[in-house]
Amino acid sequence: MKAIELKDVIKSFNGHVAVNNLTLSVPKGSVYGFIGPNGSGKTTTLRMIMNILYPDSGEIRIFDEPISRPGIDRIGYMPEERGLYKRMKVRDLLQFFGELKNGKNVRAQVDQWLERLDLNDWADKKIETLSKGMSQKVQFIATVVGQPELVLLDEPFTGLDPVNTDVIKDAILEFQAQGATVIFSTHDMSMAEKMCDFIFMIFKGNKVLDGTLSSIQDTYGSDTIRVRAEKGACILQDIAGVEKVNDFGQMQEVRMRAGSDPHRILSEIMLRTRVSSFDIVKPSLHDIFVRIAGPEAGGT
Amino acid sequence: MRKTLKLATREYKAAVRTKGFIIGLVLAPLVMGGSLIAFALLKDRVDTKDKTVVIIDRSGVLAEALIEAAEHRNKEEIYQAETGKKIKPAYYFEMVEPDDEDPRAQRLELSDRVRNVDFHAFVEIGPDVIHPGEKSEASRISYYAKNAAMDNVRQWMSWPINNHLRKLRLADAGIDESEVEDLFYWVNVDGLGLVTVDEATGDIQEAKRASEFEAILIPIILMMLLFLMIMMSVPGMLHSVMEEKTQRIAEVLLGSIKPFEFMMGKLLGGVGVSLTSSAVYVIGGIFVVRSMGFEEYIPFHVLPWFFAYMLMAIIMFGAMAAALGSVCSEAKDAQSLTFPSILPAIVPMFIYFPVVLEPVSGFSTWMSLIPLFTPTLMVLRLGTPEMIPAWQPYVGLVGVLLFTFLFVWAGGRIFRVAILMQGTPPKLTNIFRWAVRG
Repeated sequence: MKAIELKDVIKSFNGHVAVNNLTLSVPKGSVYGFIGPNGSGKTTTLRMIMNILYPDSGEIRIFDEPISRPGIDRIGYMPEERGLYKRMKVRDLLQFFGELKNGKNVRAQVDQWLERLDLNDWADKKIETLSKGMSQKVQFIATVVGQPELVLLDEPFTGLDPVNTDVIKDAILEFQAQGATVIFSTHDMSMAEKMCDFIFMIFKGNKVLDGTLSSIQDTYGSDTIRVRAEKGACILQDIAGVEKVNDFGQMQEVRMRAGSDPHRILSEIMLRTRVSSFDIVKPSLHDIFVRIAGPEAGGT
Repeated sequence: MRKTLKLATREYKAAVRTKGFIIGLVLAPLVMGGSLIAFALLKDRVDTKDKTVVIIDRSGVLAEALIEAAEHRNKEEIYQAETGKKIKPAYYFEMVEPDDEDPRAQRLELSDRVRNVDFHAFVEIGPDVIHPGEKSEASRISYYAKNAAMDNVRQWMSWPINNHLRKLRLADAGIDESEVEDLFYWVNVDGLGLVTVDEATGDIQEAKRASEFEAILIPIILMMLLFLMIMMSVPGMLHSVMEEKTQRIAEVLLGSIKPFEFMMGKLLGGVGVSLTSSAVYVIGGIFVVRSMGFEEYIPFHVLPWFFAYMLMAIIMFGAMAAALGSVCSEAKDAQSLTFPSILPAIVPMFIYFPVVLEPVSGFSTWMSLIPLFTPTLMVLRLGTPEMIPAWQPYVGLVGVLLFTFLFVWAGGRIFRVAILMQGTPPKLTNIFRWAVRG
């Protein structure tokens, strides 16, 4: 069963094509990551799934049915720009959003979530008294309090500290364990790599990646070397077979030219300096993202 | 519908549970009726400083009579009977000899003395004032003061002067005043309504005495109350939508409800707030008027129309205000669009006076059938004692209903497109395009 299915979807704004002929299929029960540079069409796609924006052409199906209000009610949506009624009390606000979503037994759910996200002491406080991190957690609860079967989260980890990031991450994975489908957009590539069953990348309105992490990496092959060596990146620049060096300070990521031999590269490095580690790996999602959307590809 | 009501309930609670609502409830009528209230409170606070007026009596027959009348007034009219407190200024008249050689120089000298506050004013009585005939210049009475147009002394002296002139003219005609005692008796024309029949008993009911309060003040109060309700809710609607858009609440809500439900929820919440406010004013007003013994003046037959038109007006103007609020991305956009959003409700305020004076004239009828003006002007007309043709309020209501549907429909289309747009300043062409094309 498909949670979401988009077929040849096109959406333009004043002549600018925001989403171009997008076809996408999100299996039920999966965690699907949407990545892409700012302005590439992620939010527009999510808004079309929520029926907030209407596609110019193409078809969108939710749980194998055309978009309908009952279908939308099965989705929890957290937009990129957070918005809460500042003068409402936390519990009242969550109850309001839960009931607006046709949620059952909302009051009990609200209490459970407040307990779980450590917001019990703030339940009767007004939203305007909360910190940014707490507001974000409240926003997350507002999204999930109706027990949706599909959750759309537009950049859910932005602005969260590591502790709260883990809290939200655990909640997402628990949702999945309970059978729900989660789609989230993110600029945090490592989070996408670690959490997502499938990754979808959109660039300038076009789908450029779609699949599991390993299938995406397989298309690039093992063309990356991670090196820890004395003297750092400067000794790697002019080695034959090295296409690009990405310097992380303590470690360098080297992209090899097609057909290059990693052992020759290792030998050359060892002639120049001492090497403490050398791994031949598939490119990271971060690297793939940059290859597609970075300056070298003529992107942003 | 359930979601719309859910949002409307939230909007209603958010509005009426604030201190601002209570304060607004008290302050709004004070602001709107401030001048009337101030007039009522301050009407007895007159300047009781005595006033002296100099008379140049070229006729030689009026000054004495005027001085005598002023003395009588100062003795009988300026003190409160029960307390003896002075409540009006005394008027004193002093005669000066007319300067026949250079009257203009005399007028200038007296004017300078008025400027120096030596006395309040001076009055010049022409020589032929008893028998004016063709000689209008010589028969004139001229009053010179800093603000002669609004001068109480000038207004008061007309009666004693004319009264004495009539006596002098009678004497000249050889008629003894005592033989025609009723000569100066002034008869007023009483204003009455129409005679009716008691439907229960069949008895003829005497006509009610007509009053300005009933003819003008009651309809104006009803109309102003409706206008007040519009003013309390419509600009607030625009700003509330703009805030929810700029604070990004709108998109969160749109994840659960349709844009049209969103707009209707806000509108119904606004209607609820207006109904609450108006119910407080109407019930409170009825209570106060009854306690003052003026129950007969309460226009109960107009109240259903009042609430029906108010409901339509709030939805009609509110829908457009919500749509305009949705195109605003910042506070200054909202400020510039607030006036256009309430303009259709303000226009009837410029034309209400001829309407209340002639509620069944062609002008009044047609203006009150223009749907944007109908709520306020039809309530105004219905509040007068005049019999408005029975079909007109119904036709007016149908027109308002159609316009309300049109505004809600167009507003909903604008709202849906504009609510998620950020950073685009509102342009009239865009607003029309969104309304037409969606």
